[in-house]
Amino acid sequence: MTSVTPTTGAATSIDVQDTRLAHRLLLPALGVIAAVVGFPLVWMVWESLHLHDLRMPWLGRPFVGLANYREAIADPRFRSAMAHTVGFVAISVTIELVVGLFLALVMHHARRGRSALRVLVLLPWAIPTAASALVWRFLFDSQAGLVNAALVAADVLHTPRVWLVDPTLAWIPIIGADVWKTTPFVALLLLAGLQNIDDSLYDAARIDGAPPLREFIEITLPLLRPAIVVALAFRVLDAFRVFDLIYVLTGGGPGTATESVSLYTFSTLLQKLRFGYASALSVIVFAAMFGLGLIYIRLAGRHLLRIEP
Amino acid sequence: VVLVSRPVRRLHINLMDSPTLRLGFVLGVCLIQWACIEQTPSGSLVFAGSAVGREGEILRRQLATFEAGHPDLHVEIRSVPDAADQQHQLYVQWLNAHAPEPDVLQLDVIATPEFAAAGWILPLDNFHPATTEFFPATIEANRWKGSLFALPWFVDVGMLYWRTDLLDAAPSTFDEFSTAVSRAQREHGLPFGFVWSGARYEGLVTVFLEYLHGFGGRFLNAAGHVAVDSDAGIRALTALRDSVHRDRTSPPDVLAWQEEQTRFAFQSGRAVAMRNWPYAYPLLADPATSRVAGRFAVGLMPHAAAGTSIATLGGQQLAINARSRHPEAAYVLVEHLTSPEQMLERARIAGEYPARPALYDRKALAALGAPPDQIRRIIEHAVPRPVTPVYAELSELLQVHLHRALTRQQEPAAALHNASGEMNDLLVRTGLLAP
Repeated sequence: MTSVTPTTGAATSIDVQDTRLAHRLLLPALGVIAAVVGFPLVWMVWESLHLHDLRMPWLGRPFVGLANYREAIADPRFRSAMAHTVGFVAISVTIELVVGLFLALVMHHARRGRSALRVLVLLPWAIPTAASALVWRFLFDSQAGLVNAALVAADVLHTPRVWLVDPTLAWIPIIGADVWKTTPFVALLLLAGLQNIDDSLYDAARIDGAPPLREFIEITLPLLRPAIVVALAFRVLDAFRVFDLIYVLTGGGPGTATESVSLYTFSTLLQKLRFGYASALSVIVFAAMFGLGLIYIRLAGRHLLRIEP
Repeated sequence: VVLVSRPVRRLHINLMDSPTLRLGFVLGVCLIQWACIEQTPSGSLVFAGSAVGREGEILRRQLATFEAGHPDLHVEIRSVPDAADQQHQLYVQWLNAHAPEPDVLQLDVIATPEFAAAGWILPLDNFHPATTEFFPATIEANRWKGSLFALPWFVDVGMLYWRTDLLDAAPSTFDEFSTAVSRAQREHGLPFGFVWSGARYEGLVTVFLEYLHGFGGRFLNAAGHVAVDSDAGIRALTALRDSVHRDRTSPPDVLAWQEEQTRFAFQSGRAVAMRNWPYAYPLLADPATSRVAGRFAVGLMPHAAAGTSIATLGGQQLAINARSRHPEAAYVLVEHLTSPEQMLERARIAGEYPARPALYDRKALAALGAPPDQIRRIIEHAVPRPVTPVYAELSELLQVHLHRALTRQQEPAAALHNASGEMNDLLVRTGLLAP
């Protein structure tokens, strides 16, 4: 905070005037936020308190209080969708951070072909998710898929597997595609973090005779923390919304074994046209993400603020 | 004329003296003109349906003959997506908003009761359609609470495609079928025996329905309760599951397949038998692209001793928007499109099966490829999916549990028990079944 101790009464009144002006200047931005975020949010909450099935207009649109929320909490399909989503986020974001850090270090230390390397690493990130999901579906196709062909040729498998209809194996292409696509994003953020670390620290460590691993643990990791915190926040929030990847790869199947929360909300809203119930699901997801965000900022953000000047 | 016009002109001048009134006058004129533009002239109809490719060609041709016969009526085509889901979503948006257009809608057979119960489409009883001239199942599927809400336009049925060079005859029971397919697959070294669409989607339910009836079961019992968890239902689902995991006549791949993947497998000569819809016939019969041209035939799906062979009924219907401004004219159009001549024309150009049994005696139907008497026999065994406004929701619940059982995440009995429970709960919740 830049709080300057007021010396004269005139300065104070200018400060007050400035603050008032600042508040007034903020109004349009706040208005836009209220219109595009606040209003839909309030409407969604209002909708979630009603029974509103577009397909069954004869039921009317009565106020039902918290009935939709009670149904959601008791709905095994919603609960398993939540569990799938949390598991997916935990596994894929962990892999993305580890691999992303590795890629960032490689890009940072590369002597030759740096820019070509960066373009290559970034390429998967630039491909639309639906398109890359189609490529991964083709790779894991049971009949013509390259993965089966390679594994059979290498004698790992005797017969081709049907990856996408196995409740456990179906996660491999899903997590693989997500890691492949979003690791570059993590790597890019971490690379920016690496480039902010002062080289003189490494010089000092080298003079002191510290081995590279110690350098990494004592200097790189702590100073990379702000970048990791940001990358983690982006990736967790983004991975939680996973939709297009699963929609294209498995459609949430077999059964509902790979159904994510977004996919279930989507089918509730746009296929079953249950507006009230789908709104309740959305509110629950929103509340969960909001709570998670608050806790995260409390825990990680504190370090972030302490490190930055 | 002069006497009348004079006071009018004076009034006009007086009005124009006040700027406010002048503005009001101008706005009023604009409003009237706008209203006239917005309102379609009497006798102009909007038809919503599939209008691409051959279907578009035949539709434009049919509408041209209609306009030639009714010079006072004009029909505009509003093309909608072919995908049933997207088409349905679009219709719901329009009809829920009480839009007066489109006047006539092409509906999938399962949508009729839903739209009828919502009050979105018009009962046709007052127009006295000749319902006895259509296949009974196609009329039954379009009735809701005793009234007829749509007329069948063309028919789709689930049928068995089998290789005439690998099997001597189409087996009539599930046991014979399984044995014969298995033997043919082994003897001829084919990768697949029987291929069907087992992905988690509507197509899976249509296959299951044929197995369910084949084993003597029913989707709904006489009291209107969901009864797929009967012994027959469990045997039906077990048979489907065994074909994949025990007999291995069906590859596990079918659990991710829809119609097209099964067609590719059969068309490339890799399978002994296939369950699919009529659209596949002309494609399989084309020697330029098909390896099984001239070496396959169609028939009814098998059945068990306790049940009967059926074909799940699909197809498209024509319904009239309840808010249409020209319901009479709209019915004239529906009558034209469902007339015998137009059904024959549609069969000739788009290969779609007429909904009138009498037409199957005609030579003109030779264009369908499959022998017309065989097609008629299959359609006579057609059974509609449950005629209820919440069919789509029931099906969605059933799909999940069927697929869980087929991918061995659950036992068939448990899966069907859960499915029935959830479906009956839905019927109660929507007021369609007494608790």
